[in-house]
Amino acid sequence: MAIGSQFLARLVLGSALVTGIVPAALAQSSLGQSGLVGQPEGITIIADPAQWPKSFNEAPQLAELVKQGKLPAVKDRLPQDLMVIKPVKEIGKYGGVWRRGFTGPGDNENGNRINASDRPILVDHTGASPNPSLAKAWKMSDDGKTFTLNLRRGLRWSDGAPMTANDFVFWFEDIYGNKDIVPTPISDLSPQGKPGRMVKVDDYTVNFEFDVPFFLFEDLMAGDTLIGGGQAVRQSDKRSHGGYAPAHYLKQFLPKYAPGGLDGANAAAKAEGYDNWVARLHFKKDWSLNPELPVLGPFKTTQAINKATWVMERNPYYWAVDTAGNQLPYMDGVVMTLAENLEVLNLRAMAGEYDLQERHIDIGKLPVILENQTRGKYKVHLDLASNGSDAVYYLNQSYDADPEVAKWLRNVDFRRALSLALDRKQLNEAFWLGVAVPGSAAPGESLPYFPGPGWREKWSTFDQKMANEMLDKIGLSKKDAQGFRVRTDNGQRLRLQIQAVQAFLPWPKISEMVADQWGKVGIQADVRDTERTLAMTRSGNNEHQIMVWTNGGTELLYLFPRHAIPVEAHPSEAFMGPEHGKWFVSGGTQGKKPEDPEILKIFDLFRSAAGQKTDGRIKTAQEIWKIVIDQQYGIATVGQSSALMGVRLVSNRLGNIPSRNCIAQHCRTPGGAHPETWFYKN
Amino acid sequence: MVTYILQRLGLALLTILAISVVSFVIIQLPPGDFVDTYITNLAASGSAVRAEEAAALRIQYGLDQPIWVQYWKWLSRVATGDFGMSMEWGRPVLEVIGDRLWLTIVISIAAILVTWGIALPIGIYSAVRQYSIPDYVFTLIGFVGLAVPNFLLALIIMYFGFKLFDLNIGGLFSAEYQLAPWSWGKIWDLTKHLPLPAVILALAGTAQLIRIMRANLLDELRRPYVTTARARGLPEWRVIMKYPVRAALNPFASTIGYLLPFVVSGSIVVSLVLSLPTVGPLLLRSLIAQDMFLAGTIVLLLGVLTVIGTFISDLILMWIDPRIRAGMHG
Amino acid sequence: MSAPTQTAAASPLVTVAEEKVAAATQLQLTWWRFRKHRLAVASGILVILFYIGAIFADFLAVTEPHATEAARSYIPPQAIHFFDEDGSFKPHVYALKGRRDMRTFKLIYAPDPADKRYLRLFADGYSYNLLGIFETNRHLIGLDRGKAEDALFLLGTDQLGRDVWSRLMLATRTSLFIGLIGVGLSLFLGVLLGGISGLYGGVVDTVIQRVIEILRSIPTIPLWMGLAAALPNTWSVTQVYIAITVIISLIGWTELARVVRGRFLALREEDFITAAELAGASRLRIIFRHMVPSFLSHIIAAVSLALPAMIISETTLSFLGLGLRPPAISWGVLLQDAQNIQALGIAPWLLVVAVPVIIVILAFNFLGDGLRDAADPYG
Repeated sequence: MAIGSQFLARLVLGSALVTGIVPAALAQSSLGQSGLVGQPEGITIIADPAQWPKSFNEAPQLAELVKQGKLPAVKDRLPQDLMVIKPVKEIGKYGGVWRRGFTGPGDNENGNRINASDRPILVDHTGASPNPSLAKAWKMSDDGKTFTLNLRRGLRWSDGAPMTANDFVFWFEDIYGNKDIVPTPISDLSPQGKPGRMVKVDDYTVNFEFDVPFFLFEDLMAGDTLIGGGQAVRQSDKRSHGGYAPAHYLKQFLPKYAPGGLDGANAAAKAEGYDNWVARLHFKKDWSLNPELPVLGPFKTTQAINKATWVMERNPYYWAVDTAGNQLPYMDGVVMTLAENLEVLNLRAMAGEYDLQERHIDIGKLPVILENQTRGKYKVHLDLASNGSDAVYYLNQSYDADPEVAKWLRNVDFRRALSLALDRKQLNEAFWLGVAVPGSAAPGESLPYFPGPGWREKWSTFDQKMANEMLDKIGLSKKDAQGFRVRTDNGQRLRLQIQAVQAFLPWPKISEMVADQWGKVGIQADVRDTERTLAMTRSGNNEHQIMVWTNGGTELLYLFPRHAIPVEAHPSEAFMGPEHGKWFVSGGTQGKKPEDPEILKIFDLFRSAAGQKTDGRIKTAQEIWKIVIDQQYGIATVGQSSALMGVRLVSNRLGNIPSRNCIAQHCRTPGGAHPETWFYKN
Repeated sequence: MVTYILQRLGLALLTILAISVVSFVIIQLPPGDFVDTYITNLAASGSAVRAEEAAALRIQYGLDQPIWVQYWKWLSRVATGDFGMSMEWGRPVLEVIGDRLWLTIVISIAAILVTWGIALPIGIYSAVRQYSIPDYVFTLIGFVGLAVPNFLLALIIMYFGFKLFDLNIGGLFSAEYQLAPWSWGKIWDLTKHLPLPAVILALAGTAQLIRIMRANLLDELRRPYVTTARARGLPEWRVIMKYPVRAALNPFASTIGYLLPFVVSGSIVVSLVLSLPTVGPLLLRSLIAQDMFLAGTIVLLLGVLTVIGTFISDLILMWIDPRIRAGMHG
Repeated sequence: MSAPTQTAAASPLVTVAEEKVAAATQLQLTWWRFRKHRLAVASGILVILFYIGAIFADFLAVTEPHATEAARSYIPPQAIHFFDEDGSFKPHVYALKGRRDMRTFKLIYAPDPADKRYLRLFADGYSYNLLGIFETNRHLIGLDRGKAEDALFLLGTDQLGRDVWSRLMLATRTSLFIGLIGVGLSLFLGVLLGGISGLYGGVVDTVIQRVIEILRSIPTIPLWMGLAAALPNTWSVTQVYIAITVIISLIGWTELARVVRGRFLALREEDFITAAELAGASRLRIIFRHMVPSFLSHIIAAVSLALPAMIISETTLSFLGLGLRPPAISWGVLLQDAQNIQALGIAPWLLVVAVPVIIVILAFNFLGDGLRDAADPYG
């Protein structure tokens, strides 16, 4: 890894991904008082080979294996292009098992995130600039049509086999290219619908080639995307993306390489109890299920996720060392215990039964969590996210089941009035313990995509009087005996339905308060507490009127646009207008074309961004956010909070823990903080 | 006698078949299927499953076929002892259920024993000392157990156990035995963890048993033979224990069959709150995820256990009560 | 169990009272025996009081049970001071001042002795429809000055700052009537199917008994889940309410059917039924004119024992997220609010909802016991 390439990386990617260093929430002195919000800090990657250690140490367990001749010496396991990490505070020591809680086989993200370094590029602790990971360097050509990835030389899979450009090409041709496994091309690799190519230059160099300028690809590669996401997350749970795959291991399961071809592969699958070779492959390439699978992250599974405990141990071929030459990770492994419900998980965390837990921790329990700090022997950190709102009320723009309701959902002044009727301070106090920032859906103020001063407040302050006036003016002035506004078609009370899911936040409860506040301007809203899958299916069918969800991820508008603008289709949580999303995704062949010119304008802007350079993309993103906020397709409440993965309980025994984590999908919380450098002090 | 037993067996089989149909239909009732659940989970991690992939998955799981075809396929596999693969857990259904079924039975039996242990003495006492203060007090305690929803009781006990006595949070094993294979140590560890869930589960059923026992015994105590026994100067406790209590116990035999599903149903919620590795939380989860084979198998297994329980209690009753034996010919 | 009455009736000495006994209907006999069971009588009165309270729930509530206010979140139950400084009986409460402690993140409320609010009867409050007929804004208690929602928190408030007392009143109404409707439906199904089973016997009996056996062999949770999840999401709270009661009763009828069948089997052999049959009365007439009245008391007893089960079912359904959901208010919904660690840790008063649940269930059980003892001394 040369200094030059990192400089280049920052130049190309840097500013586009800059995340807030000082969120506005901190400006609220009250939160500062808590002493729970730290300063962002993270590991340092030593890029200069002259400063690299010359001799290496390893964990005692591995040294024992080396002595027994079961494992090559540590220096032979490490790559030439080393990853040398200076931990947050100190050089750690080996030992200890990270105890953590998980909720079952569906919770593989819990572990995927710990292995987040198994991707070519991983953002740093600010979530702002890309750091080398599997790749030591990368470059986008001046015409935006060729992206080059330089892999570390001497990289090895957890079974010792070399990891090279062949593993990328294998994924591209035999996994991604196989219609039985991946039926449809992904937009990450097909700018303007034109499929790109992956080309091996040499053993350690891969080129991605496109027919049209695709400057956005550099962001995609550095984000938590289908192409840049790496093996752990993108190939577990029947997913088949991720950019590379262990060719030497997986080939045997594919009809192309298996003895006996298709029939042979299917017969072998049947013999092992799978319906067909695809089902078998889905199992074999899932690191959380298959302990045999070679991986690149710091940990590998020893007991699969579908048991009462999910157990991992250190990857003996992990390719990073600390500045003293100790091979990482320090910790011997991870043991996750199954909690059948979240109350038990939270209670166990408070009892000190987990060493570090931020996932599934409920912010509503913060007072009780703080109360038990001493006896649970942990410290609490509040980490703040940078997305605009943890609860956005998305008004379905393609709703058509009830023409009267549809008419109002599509009326911009109606939407603005609903937004003005919300007392966000109340919501903040009742559900976010006052730690969040009220306002519009825009990402954090210090982010490049933030549209500018005034846009946090635009249509997003509490003004009941104005809301009432606006509703009167648009033709909803008639009210019934109880003071609720009535429909214009039949004189009955106008009733809106809010579909709320009990998922990351208590959205049904939050919606009760929202409905109460809308009631005060004469709008009756009925909260429908719906089971999650059912809610998704219903919105996929365009049946919901209003859906409440977080807009986490929208801070990187182009990488995760679904909760900012209606450019994705079911099942990608298309709440703002599933039919319009379908229309956009299908290139106008399916779904319904929006009549609203503002939505069409958003579509044009979004389409044009992929081929724009960094500065152009930033301007376009700001433009999109301005329309989104002015039009209020989604009514935002409060955000930039600790509500999701932001309440972190850390055992007093752990060292090298950053005092603040980056909370975002692309930061892979907590993986972006490099758990391989954490250690047990005693 | 033999024909009667055969008849009962035939009926039991028929019942099991009906249960399998009903369970399959119930699982299908909510809209959507497992692929929808799967897609929902994936969407949350930023992966989108396209409609084409969803369709491919449905074919892979056979979810594209009509329900009766799915049912028939499942049933013919079940007949050969193959309960299919759990969609969510990616393992054979029986393997997923594995230890959980035995732990459920262990907890249920423990709960039933505790129920009887509490209910019988209290029932006997309140019958013998009818309308006394202790009669009222014990009955009241029994009823409080019935009246407090046991999920609430479980959470309260767990929270205050943690807060005040530093008890383990939920589960049936200590951390060190969680991963260990079965051994005497592990069994002992299980035994130590059993009382709490057993008592919580037992409390729900105690009141009813106290009432039955008390009523039955009161009936028996009024019979002439008791008066005779007393008249002959037998010690009071022998008068009571020798025949009336035994006679009053008879109806208990008929409830054995139904106790199991009652306790298991109750244990679902309690297991969920206490995070016990029983089939309860698994059933709930599989129902929500619409993991059909897993949910169907659990419901079927519990149904079969109930039918077997009922069958056995029928046999016991027949053996105890000559009137039933006479009745079955007529 | 009511042995004394029995002995009296069997006595050879005929008194006026006993002549009355001889002429009394079964129902009257039951009533006389029941009156002696003091605990049951007390329970019966309690149950009646609860139902009256439920009917006048809005009148007993002090504030609008849906009105949210974050500044009133998690207020603990309030102390009522009955006597003024001068010793006169003037019940009052102190106004509260709240703030969040940013170190513990707890809300702290301090009473302000300088700001006294006197309680008064028949105060003005939110308006509602009394008995569904006339609109009024009178409430049993309120404050003489200022709005009740600003200062009166008898049982504290929940996370959204809603008054727990007022919500409890409305929850009681919902849950008690769910129980009643549910039992009504169960009763109908139970009497009908149990009656048919007992009356016709043979194949019909076998089929019905099989159905009962199957229903009882399926763990109730999947049954509930399947049925509850099948409810259309577009239904209003009222529709869901009715559907939930139907679901609960669909499962609850089997026990009643068993009791009824047993009684029918016994009654079928009785002479007066044979007489009715010979006289050419229709089956339905026989069932409802002759048989049902003769074991009405048993049914009443069975019903009063079935009600608690319904109420518990409703709370369990809500706990599983399947039953009534907010904004509906029921015991189950309130219990669900109390079902988390923060409630136990920082707002334990939310558990207060368990108190009426326990009282009502106990009362119904004692009432049922008393009724059953009275209805059939040997049952």
